[in-house]
Amino acid sequence: MKLVIQNLTKTYKNGVKAIDDLSIEIGNGMFGLLGPNGAGKSSLMRTIATLQTPDSGTVTFGDINVLEDNMSLRKVLGYLPQSFGVYPKMSAEDLLDYFATLKGISNKAERNAIVKEVLEITNLYDVRGKHVAGYSGGMKQRFGIAQLLLNNPKLIIVDEPTAGLDPAERHRFLNVLREVGTNSTVIFSTHIVEDVKELCNEMAILNGGRILKHTTPQEATKEIEGTIWTKIINREDLDAIEQNFNLLSSNYNQDNTLNVRVHAAEKPAEGFEKTAPQLDDVYFIALKQDEPVIA
Amino acid sequence: MFSTIFKQELKYWFKKPAFYIYALIFLLLSLLFSAGAAGVFDFLTVTTGSALIVNSPIGISNLFSGLTILIFFLFPAIIGVSIYRDFKSEMHTILYSYPFTKANYLFAKFFSAIVVVSLIVLTIGLGMIIGFRLPGTNSEIVGPLNIMIYLQNYLLFILPNILFIGAIVFGVVAFTRNIAAGFITVIIILFGQGVLESLLSDPENRTMAAILDPFGGASIRYYTQYWTVSEQNELPIPIKEMIVYNRLLWLGIGTVVFSLVFKFFTFSQHAFSFSFGKKKSERATKSNFGGITRINLPKVSYDYSFLQNLKTTWKLSNIDFKYIVKSWAFISIVLVGLIFILIVISEVGDIFGTATLPLTWKMLNGGGAFTASINICTFLYAGMLVHRAKISRTNHIIDATPIPNWTLLTSKLIALIKMQWVLLTIIMISGLVFQIYKGYYNFEMGHYLYELYILNFLNYLLWALLALFVQTLMGNPYVGLFALLILSIGIPVLSLVGVEQDILKFNEGPGFNYSDINGYGSSVLPYIVYKLYWLLFGFVLLIITSLFWVRGIPNSFKERFSFAIKRFKGITAIGFAVFFIGFLFLGFSIYKEGNIDNVRKSSKEREQLRVDWEKDYKRFENYAQPRMIAVNAKMNLFPKERNFEASALMTMVNKTEVAIDSIFLNHNGYPSTFKFSLANTLVLEDTIQNFDIYKFDQKIQPGDTLTLAVTIKNKINTTLRNNSPVIENGTFVNSGIFPTLGYASGGELTDNKTRKKFGLSPNDLRPHPSDSTALANTYISKDSDWIDFEATVSTSKDQIAIAPGYLQKEWVKEGRRYFYYKMDSKILNFYAFNSARYEVQKEMYKDISLEIYYHKGHEFNLDRMMAGMKASLDYGANNFSPYQHRQLRIIEFPKTGGTFAQSFPNTIPFSEGIGFIADVDDSDEGGVDYPFAVTVHEVAHQWWAHQVIGADVLGATMLSESVSEYVSLKVLEHQQGKSEMRKFLKKALDDYLQQRTFERKREKALMYNDGQGYIRYQKGSLVFYALSDYIGERNLNNALKKYVEKVQFQEAPYTTSIDMVNHIKEATPDSLQYVIKDMFETITLYSNRIVETNTTELENGKYQVDIEFEVSKYRNDEKGRKYYGEKVGDTLSYKTDKMKKPILSVPLADYIDLGIFAEEEVDGKKKEVVLYFQKHKITAIHNKVSIIVDKKPTEVGVDPYNKLIDTQSDDNRRKL
Repeated sequence: MKLVIQNLTKTYKNGVKAIDDLSIEIGNGMFGLLGPNGAGKSSLMRTIATLQTPDSGTVTFGDINVLEDNMSLRKVLGYLPQSFGVYPKMSAEDLLDYFATLKGISNKAERNAIVKEVLEITNLYDVRGKHVAGYSGGMKQRFGIAQLLLNNPKLIIVDEPTAGLDPAERHRFLNVLREVGTNSTVIFSTHIVEDVKELCNEMAILNGGRILKHTTPQEATKEIEGTIWTKIINREDLDAIEQNFNLLSSNYNQDNTLNVRVHAAEKPAEGFEKTAPQLDDVYFIALKQDEPVIA
Repeated sequence: MFSTIFKQELKYWFKKPAFYIYALIFLLLSLLFSAGAAGVFDFLTVTTGSALIVNSPIGISNLFSGLTILIFFLFPAIIGVSIYRDFKSEMHTILYSYPFTKANYLFAKFFSAIVVVSLIVLTIGLGMIIGFRLPGTNSEIVGPLNIMIYLQNYLLFILPNILFIGAIVFGVVAFTRNIAAGFITVIIILFGQGVLESLLSDPENRTMAAILDPFGGASIRYYTQYWTVSEQNELPIPIKEMIVYNRLLWLGIGTVVFSLVFKFFTFSQHAFSFSFGKKKSERATKSNFGGITRINLPKVSYDYSFLQNLKTTWKLSNIDFKYIVKSWAFISIVLVGLIFILIVISEVGDIFGTATLPLTWKMLNGGGAFTASINICTFLYAGMLVHRAKISRTNHIIDATPIPNWTLLTSKLIALIKMQWVLLTIIMISGLVFQIYKGYYNFEMGHYLYELYILNFLNYLLWALLALFVQTLMGNPYVGLFALLILSIGIPVLSLVGVEQDILKFNEGPGFNYSDINGYGSSVLPYIVYKLYWLLFGFVLLIITSLFWVRGIPNSFKERFSFAIKRFKGITAIGFAVFFIGFLFLGFSIYKEGNIDNVRKSSKEREQLRVDWEKDYKRFENYAQPRMIAVNAKMNLFPKERNFEASALMTMVNKTEVAIDSIFLNHNGYPSTFKFSLANTLVLEDTIQNFDIYKFDQKIQPGDTLTLAVTIKNKINTTLRNNSPVIENGTFVNSGIFPTLGYASGGELTDNKTRKKFGLSPNDLRPHPSDSTALANTYISKDSDWIDFEATVSTSKDQIAIAPGYLQKEWVKEGRRYFYYKMDSKILNFYAFNSARYEVQKEMYKDISLEIYYHKGHEFNLDRMMAGMKASLDYGANNFSPYQHRQLRIIEFPKTGGTFAQSFPNTIPFSEGIGFIADVDDSDEGGVDYPFAVTVHEVAHQWWAHQVIGADVLGATMLSESVSEYVSLKVLEHQQGKSEMRKFLKKALDDYLQQRTFERKREKALMYNDGQGYIRYQKGSLVFYALSDYIGERNLNNALKKYVEKVQFQEAPYTTSIDMVNHIKEATPDSLQYVIKDMFETITLYSNRIVETNTTELENGKYQVDIEFEVSKYRNDEKGRKYYGEKVGDTLSYKTDKMKKPILSVPLADYIDLGIFAEEEVDGKKKEVVLYFQKHKITAIHNKVSIIVDKKPTEVGVDPYNKLIDTQSDDNRRKL
């Protein structure tokens, strides 16, 4: 099923335009929403998840008009907010049973079965009797996935789920997500490019409430094939490079030299070498183009 | 650093609208209360008339402290939040690593919060200052502004209380990092104060109470509890020992608490937590490798149907319910509430120290003490549940699930209801446990269940609905709680500003009342109709609540409003319409019943009617009227339908020496007919005041007789309105139902300031007894002297109907039972009709038939009452005159009719609420055997009212009530000994001193009293008992006997208190004539005390006791001002160097008891033994005596038994 967003706009009371006339179509599979902090990712996610109403625009998912008929969407929605808490003094098992009830699973036996399954999927079965409030960050995120799975969702929205996870937890999380994403639409927001690269078959870059680019990871890198140049420079030369070239990123090497990446159709200067484009470059190019022009 | 944090905190509050809203609320509240007390709403409602100055020091103190209690509920949200905010915003993770000291941090936080609270409290003072002199206040009850009084109150009571309670709340929140804990603390302090107060309510514990009361109120009361009106108006609150100790104690505790906070507070990242036993620690690792799992979710079915949502509602409510009952706040509130119930239950209905049997209704009444707990839990948890998801930040997950809003909202409501049921069950369990503890096994489960789970529950359910509404609109549960508290306190007192109709005040309406005899009677139906009416409104509220329910990201109010409009459609809109129309419809029906079908009078209108009555008809007061000489009444009672049909033939004669042209008929609003036997014209028919004037075609000549035939019935009763005094079982109707002749002054306004406002002259209430022209009427009736009486009373077949007189005939006709009673001697025009399904106990005693008509199951004290009748009959016959009747009947009536007994000729209706259900403890520790004492009192009225009846002038009640009380005391003393007597007198003394402080017009001496209960009963009993002690019981009774012989059954002019006192004076030796003057003619109070005592053992084994003591007495004028002499210069004065002010006294030549006591062990119990007891003639204030006694004394006393009226009765004795 396809999620279609048209001309979505949302302005907050403090004047910030979090979503700015945004239109996009998202199909089955993993969709990565990449954007810096404050780009409007959460606002967009919350709007799709029926938690917020936009000022204007429409959102449809298959036949469901999300803004008019939010109940129908909620039935097929799995949502994991960026940060969430749980009722204190309740075990994972009890909480999942509670969420399963909220999601409309009426049969006790079925509820038990699915709760057991999602606990196993998220590798929480051994700690099912412990209070979720006492879980570590990774366990809590996995619990978030567990609750999301309960209604076998067709549309899954996960908001920056990997932030703050250790590498093992992050991998485990992404694997589960990947598994889930095979049969449904998964929208996954992150500011970590790696996540998208590893996982998504489609992606968009969001900044300032607008979609800067809507593409796939492969295509995105292919598009800029041959335009990424790298050079090892001294710290003192950075300003000159920044002024003269379209600098995408610069990283320190261990010997205090800098490794810079530059976007240019032709070889920008001596000493630059062509390198294979990375998704990061796509991201930075998009953001760079969106940067306010300083006169 | 201190100032940085301090300023930052203040800036935070000054920017917050909440600060200004709180300040405004308190300003308005104090403005409202003070302006209301000063009579600003007089234009809306009745006139606030009183001799009391509303802004006297004590008045200001009471209002100021009272309103400050409300602010304690805000402490968690202000003082607690000051420190909690850093935890909540997780600022503490950064802040606590900064280089400032603990002292800077804590002091700045604490004192900035205290400043904020103090500023809010100051608005209370400001509101009062303005409120008392708002335009429209009654300047006569407002004194000049004295800013020092406010300041003194603020510095001495308000500020220390804020500091002390603030410190505790601050400490609790600092350690637990939990606002709820702070809230629990406030609740516990408030309840604790209540518990303390009721535990130490006995006058003997005054000192303890004064020192321990955390708010200091009891320490003020220690000095001011017996203040007369003028003292309350004029005196500043004395800052003496008790107040100082109290303040020091609690400031000390506050300091200790804050020091502990200071000592143990650490800048740690985690809250202080208790752990029981050390948990063993373990190294924790987790598995960092996991394979790829296949996801194969089991097939489950999803059900979004209405039915399933209903089931889900129930399930969710269970989860929320568990959350409530497991939370500390709930457990604490329940525990303190429980302690409160048990204390109240164990003391409920104590009369003269004697307990009442733990009947179910008593237990349920005691359970009323739990109301506050249930309401607070409802208010708080409505907020906690509404905001539960948000507080734990689970709301985004929950809100994105396909669960409808109504399911969430309804589940919260059901969880609240379950909580309320648990709380109601606690009342039931407490009651049952207490009954078992008392060995009372008549468990009326049905009664418990019906009253708690239906009647009471309806009331709580409505609060739950309102609470959900308010809490949904409010963002913070504690602020919501505060708003709800204000509403729950404010709504019932709206009548003070003229909103009198219950249909305008949420959850108001008539109450229900219960009696063992008549059950809930007809009170329950109107109660339920009103609750139904409010329930419809409650459902409307619930729908509005669902419209404003927050789903998703919290919105601005504007957004929520537009959502609400969007949500208002379909079944919601239909439901809203149905309930709202139902609400309006039922409201209109109630309105129609009370305002259109029947005339409703606001209290302002009723006040005006009283004015009109006096203005229109007072001029007829002395217009000659015939006197009733015989009444033949027929009273048909229909208990099941609660109707009556009465008729009476009243015979009257012109006893005056002038011809009478008109009769003024003063009747009531029942549908009636009146027919005189002589031709007349109805010249005036006032259907509002029910006052008619019949002008006779031919004047009624002196000595002429005529009759008046009256029929009266009631209007049909409706669901909401009782138009008849008849009840299903236990009717008690008195002669007031029949018309009287002439103007009656009973309805006149009494407060002179109010009278002035309406252009009426000052009211002297009654003429002075020396006014020989005012003695034509008894104080019982204005239109008759002694009458012949007969009555036929009918009732349903299963009931017995009773009227004064001897049963002549009893028969059954058409399924109804008839009784014909006739008196064989003349009686006062004062009779009653009773009917119920009675059991009867009869006994012949000296040719008098003693009968008790009682409710089956109330057999407990019949023997005591029988004994009381016999003892009283004997005492009266032996000491005064023969009993005038051949029978004496006690008739039980339901407590819904009142808790009193009333003596009619040979017939005494006696409430089930006193006597019948007393649990008398005959041991020395037990209280007064009041079933016996009250019976003796009422029987004594057969002499002292029904033989000797005073003229309707000042002091008339002394002749009946005071003497009956004296008889009761004496009989009690003869039967049960002096110790029983002392319990009674102690109580009488305390009651007299306490109640006279509430006098709002004037207090006169006993023999000129206006009829106040505290004078005629309490002071009367003290005075007559003391008098019998001074001149001897025999001597006093002989004087009374002579008096009875002279005045019994007399016709006008009737006797007065002067006549009786003259008889007593005759029997009193010259040396004791002062007693008469002190006790009867003036208000005289002693202040006697032991100053110093010393005991030395003499060589002969005896002991010499040196006693230094003071005796002084003062008089009060009718406003309670003290004076000390008869004429200028005769005042005694005593002053030593150490004293700031001299002790003054009225000249003394008084005989005062001195006693010396020892303690002796008798059967393992300590008992007091009298070593010396003698009256001493005292002529000076300061006295020293030496007395030699045989045994080692343990205690001495001046007036040790408190026979004299003395406001400090506890310094009369001194332990050695």
